Amino acid sequence: MHRIAVDGGRCMGHGMCYSLAPHVLEDDDEGYVSLRDDSKVIPDDVLAEAEDARESCPEGAITITAEP
Amino acid sequence: MSPDESRRGGCPVVTTDYRSDRPMSEISALLGQDREKAPILRNESPGTPFWMITRHEHAVEAAQMPDVFGTEVITSLTPDMGIELRPHNVQGEEHLQLRKVLNRWFAPAAIRKLEPLVRRRCVELIEGFAGRGECDLVADFAFLYPTEMFLATLNLPMEDGLEMIHWVDVFINAAAKDGAKTEIARASEWIYGYFNAAIDDRIAHPRDAESDFITRLLSARTDGEAMPRQQVRTVCLSLMLAGLETTRAALGYIFHHLATHPDDRRRIAGNPALTPKAVEEFLRLYPIVFQGGRLVKQDVDFHGCPMKKGDVLWIGFGSSNTDPRKFDDPDEFRPDRGNVGNHLAFGLGPHRCLGMHLARHELVIAVDEWHARIPDYELATDAPLVERGGQLLLESLPLRWEN
Repeated sequence: MHRIAVDGGRCMGHGMCYSLAPHVLEDDDEGYVSLRDDSKVIPDDVLAEAEDARESCPEGAITITAEP
Repeated sequence: MSPDESRRGGCPVVTTDYRSDRPMSEISALLGQDREKAPILRNESPGTPFWMITRHEHAVEAAQMPDVFGTEVITSLTPDMGIELRPHNVQGEEHLQLRKVLNRWFAPAAIRKLEPLVRRRCVELIEGFAGRGECDLVADFAFLYPTEMFLATLNLPMEDGLEMIHWVDVFINAAAKDGAKTEIARASEWIYGYFNAAIDDRIAHPRDAESDFITRLLSARTDGEAMPRQQVRTVCLSLMLAGLETTRAALGYIFHHLATHPDDRRRIAGNPALTPKAVEEFLRLYPIVFQGGRLVKQDVDFHGCPMKKGDVLWIGFGSSNTDPRKFDDPDEFRPDRGNVGNHLAFGLGPHRCLGMHLARHELVIAVDEWHARIPDYELATDAPLVERGGQLLLESLPLRWEN
């Protein structure tokens, strides 16, 4: 299991992440990721998609850590 | 270092003139050359000198330091435009509050609602010339399509497009090249007058704040306070300037590429599922706003470069987009690129382009609807194409195809 977190101070609503990883992330009505300034545990079957989302963020707002 | 190479604060001096019109793709070649000279340069071409941050890593860093590098200056090529732009020139908490009001209007969820209109108008325009076997992509399509969609987003009459374009072009042609402030003022006067009339109308007859942008601005409250009328007017002018030319320019570069690269064209024409990634890669490869200007607000040593309070800075969004340190084969069109999302064509940080989602939406629909009807085409001219300096634009792109 892993935890995906979004740094609210960095997220500027570019929208790359939720476009690439619709099974993991979604947008709010301002265009930010709804997980902005928050985190959640994700199952391994969406890890690859989540990693694509992390790589796609131009602000570097997304981190993924192992969840024991 | 050769005897005639000079330095300022340890940074090489260049005199590359980015304001002048040039043969197409010469500006991106110059951006790449300057980038490879050093991560930070001092540009001493005619006009106010400015520091240039050329590489992706430092551009990201600088764009994420709004308290040090502020947007009181928004273009290093014309540091003093003589008028205020909002939200561009707004800083700090006030800026966040203003973006809070505006973001919702331009968020993906809001833009998706426009899709039927965008697609319908796009198709109408294309079908207007598809049977002719030729067109000027700029005059016949790229001029009107983004302009009308932008006006529609603001709930303004699409018929006002032509005159609005004229004054926006006057403004940007002057502002992109440090041109006469009188031209900027003249254009502003007309655009202010247009929006004053629209604002008067909404004050007298308020419309639905959910569907009318000006009513929305007039009814917004921040800490209980309404937005002053002058600020509403300034926001409208500022968004017009940002939104009309940029998407038009992107269409020109996209269709020029596809007209001259048959393999890429065939790949895209046959596979609409690829279009969003292709558009993103086009944004990376052909950035229109190739620099973001900033005002240095305090003395700072930025990676060995001693910048002084009051200096002007260029954040190289364009040169960052083809930085080999960030993007493999950076000058190649590769729509399957994994990190294409890291491009800076829409800027970065709190002032990242408000209209990005609308722009993407328009570009994807245009690419799809065009290739569904005109899958094969070529340039209809051997004459050299010219790109405008300052903020890239192709004035003309003649294309032809068989019916």
